[in-house]
Amino acid sequence: MSDRSAARKSPGPLRRGEYQGTMPSISTKQFGVVHFADEDIFEFPNGLPGFESEQRFLCIERPALRPVVFLQSIVQTDLCFITLPARSVDPGYQLEVAAEERKVLGLATPESPIWDQSLACLAIVCLPSEGSPTANLLGPVVLSRETRKGVQAVRDDRRYSALTPLQPAASEHGQVEPSPVEKSQADRLAEV
Amino acid sequence: MLIIRRRRGESIIIGEDIEIEILETSPTQVKLGISAPKEVTVLRSEIRVTRDVNRAASSSDTNKISQLVDRIREIEPNPEELPAHESTVVLPDE
Repeated sequence: MSDRSAARKSPGPLRRGEYQGTMPSISTKQFGVVHFADEDIFEFPNGLPGFESEQRFLCIERPALRPVVFLQSIVQTDLCFITLPARSVDPGYQLEVAAEERKVLGLATPESPIWDQSLACLAIVCLPSEGSPTANLLGPVVLSRETRKGVQAVRDDRRYSALTPLQPAASEHGQVEPSPVEKSQADRLAEV
Repeated sequence: MLIIRRRRGESIIIGEDIEIEILETSPTQVKLGISAPKEVTVLRSEIRVTRDVNRAASSSDTNKISQLVDRIREIEPNPEELPAHESTVVLPDE
């Protein structure tokens, strides 16, 4: 399976979600039955931190909800992350991908520029019932359209926060230092 | 917090069976070798933060998605077609 997807040379075509009887499908909590083609799948060889066994996802969009991209698990079908392209959260977002994660994504050369490599960079959003939404710019989900691999590329610098608030002001700073409030929020989450 | 000064090649022991050795040092980084039993989880601290935030995100309130969309369009009124949009399953709006 990995060989076949690695052999894909060009990004897949835009997929429409219309019914096709022979396509595989999953029954989801968020969207009901979703039909897809095998080449729509992104494989996450390591899963995501906390969800290590979730290794196959679809990216799902609803035009009215753009730029939201739903990261829908094919394994545990009631798992669906809400994500936003990192650059719609922070237009100046600078992606960094460490050597280990570049290998997972099957990127050709370790030093070549990141944005040239058919990558999508999505920030997972926390939408609490009470309180403001935040996006994880510390560990964006990086997808390669060429190899159909995905990885959550957690940065080892302190440039961005895992709980970046979604506020117009955030776009003015390339750097967001975690505030004491965010830190205590992260600590509280750690206790859950 | 316990603070210990160590040189390259030296190590510390935690409990009976966890050993952390200093393999390399540079002005900006330290390379550690960690020997621990299989059942002990060893994580970079930022991975743990991401794990906890992922868990919180997985139970996001989906009723608030349209509010999220409104808010993000204030930040970026004209989202350009991003690379992600060429590899997605597009479902019709409800």
